[in-house]
Amino acid sequence: MEAIIQVENLRRDYITHRGFLHRNKEVVSAVRDISFYVQPGEVFGLLGQNGAGKTTTIKMLTTLLAPTGGTCKVLGFNTFGEEKYIRPRINFIFGGEMGVYRRLSARDNLRYFANLYGLKPREREQRIQDILELVELRDAADRLAETYSKGMVQRLQIARGLINNPDILFMDEPTVGLDPLGAHMLRDIIRTLHREGKTVLLTTHYLPEAEELCNRMVILNQGRIVAQGTPADIKGEAATLEEAYISLVQEVKP
Amino acid sequence: MIRSVLLSTMVLQMKQSFARPMFRFSLIANPILNTILLYEMFRHSQQDNFVSYVVLGAGLMAIWSCICFSSAGDIQRERYSGTLALIYAAPAGFPAIITGKILGNTLLSLSSLLISLATAVAVYHTPVVVIRPGYFFLAPVALVGSFMVISTVLAALLTLSRRTSLYMNCIEIPFILLCGFAFPIQVLPAWLHPISLALSPTWAVDLLRMAVNGVEDASLFFQKLLILMLLSVGYALFSGWLYRYMDRQVRMTANLEVC
Repeated sequence: MEAIIQVENLRRDYITHRGFLHRNKEVVSAVRDISFYVQPGEVFGLLGQNGAGKTTTIKMLTTLLAPTGGTCKVLGFNTFGEEKYIRPRINFIFGGEMGVYRRLSARDNLRYFANLYGLKPREREQRIQDILELVELRDAADRLAETYSKGMVQRLQIARGLINNPDILFMDEPTVGLDPLGAHMLRDIIRTLHREGKTVLLTTHYLPEAEELCNRMVILNQGRIVAQGTPADIKGEAATLEEAYISLVQEVKP
Repeated sequence: MIRSVLLSTMVLQMKQSFARPMFRFSLIANPILNTILLYEMFRHSQQDNFVSYVVLGAGLMAIWSCICFSSAGDIQRERYSGTLALIYAAPAGFPAIITGKILGNTLLSLSSLLISLATAVAVYHTPVVVIRPGYFFLAPVALVGSFMVISTVLAALLTLSRRTSLYMNCIEIPFILLCGFAFPIQVLPAWLHPISLALSPTWAVDLLRMAVNGVEDASLFFQKLLILMLLSVGYALFSGWLYRYMDRQVRMTANLEVC
């Protein structure tokens, strides 16, 4: 089966300039020659410490950031230069309370994003209704998002990410700040998407969650891959995934 | 799809803008205060057309403030609320979304002209005379077009940078002076005239003034309208190029979001 996401020797540097008269160029390599692939229908995890390069990788995959080098293909297309073939078929959710219009209701938020994805009015209304039920926001659908709790805003984000029924859903730390019930609901949604044959790529700090949900995963540290495989492969002889993760991350010195 | 994107973005923009106290101040209080300020300045100026410099001047200044603080500020607000990346990567296309936003802001800000007119009539009881109403209804269309094309260029430039707030504050007053909103550009130093004439609102304001004061030479009116249209086409072509440049640059420099 052909990979739905192909990453080969992917690299991303951030360049900053300091000083006024004597401009000094500073290069920070956030992602250094990483390679992995994701098969259709997989739940794939990107794990790593803060600053490991997870978010940078996900931004390159979602066409928001240009790679400095290497290959970054989604659905067979380059994420930089062929993004118009990718964007209608993917969506992404970034953790936290960002990514919604807080002065609009949940329904208006979803209507707007549905329009941006070209949904026809009848299809749009049905889709919105279904998603609102899925994320349990139906009763609060017409309230302004600014009156929502943190968990409700995140559920609205999840609903927005599902609006175009994407083939691939990218989730960057989606359970950050969610209460246990919200996190449980999100894991149920990911399992449902998996059953429907959707591909999910997620980043998380929460290792039991990754172990429970992911078919395969990579562990990043300082922009490099330090391990990849199934949770069982990575765990190896260690008692828990967390134990294996800590020893892998500590092996790599700055 | 484009029509629904433009319409839904326009409506969203109007709702979002009007919900903000700063926008309501720019839209409602600003033209009232500008009218009072300009009237007091106008009283001893020996100018004989009140509408031309007080009502239009105050209204235009308020429209421009709304556009600056909304169109420009919106990029920054979207960036800080995490929605800039979402609309940027939506299949509808960023230029269509920005055009919808600018359309919403420009149409909403046009009410500043009416507020300015109402203030002038209510506070100073001065008769408002529009000598050639036919031309006066054509000129606002040109005005909307001119504001839209220049806002499109500005929005693309502001997407490229994270210093949006600084730039929007820097451009507000110079544009008011250079485009002749409150006084004729002839009072500016001669070396500034080419810059004024290169800005599309300058021509739209000129057309509005001609319509208010009476169009004695119809061919001159249409000649200026043609220049405005040509300038607008130039701006549109430039913004098309700019969006393609911005599309690559913003992803290479990682300026879409707040780091």
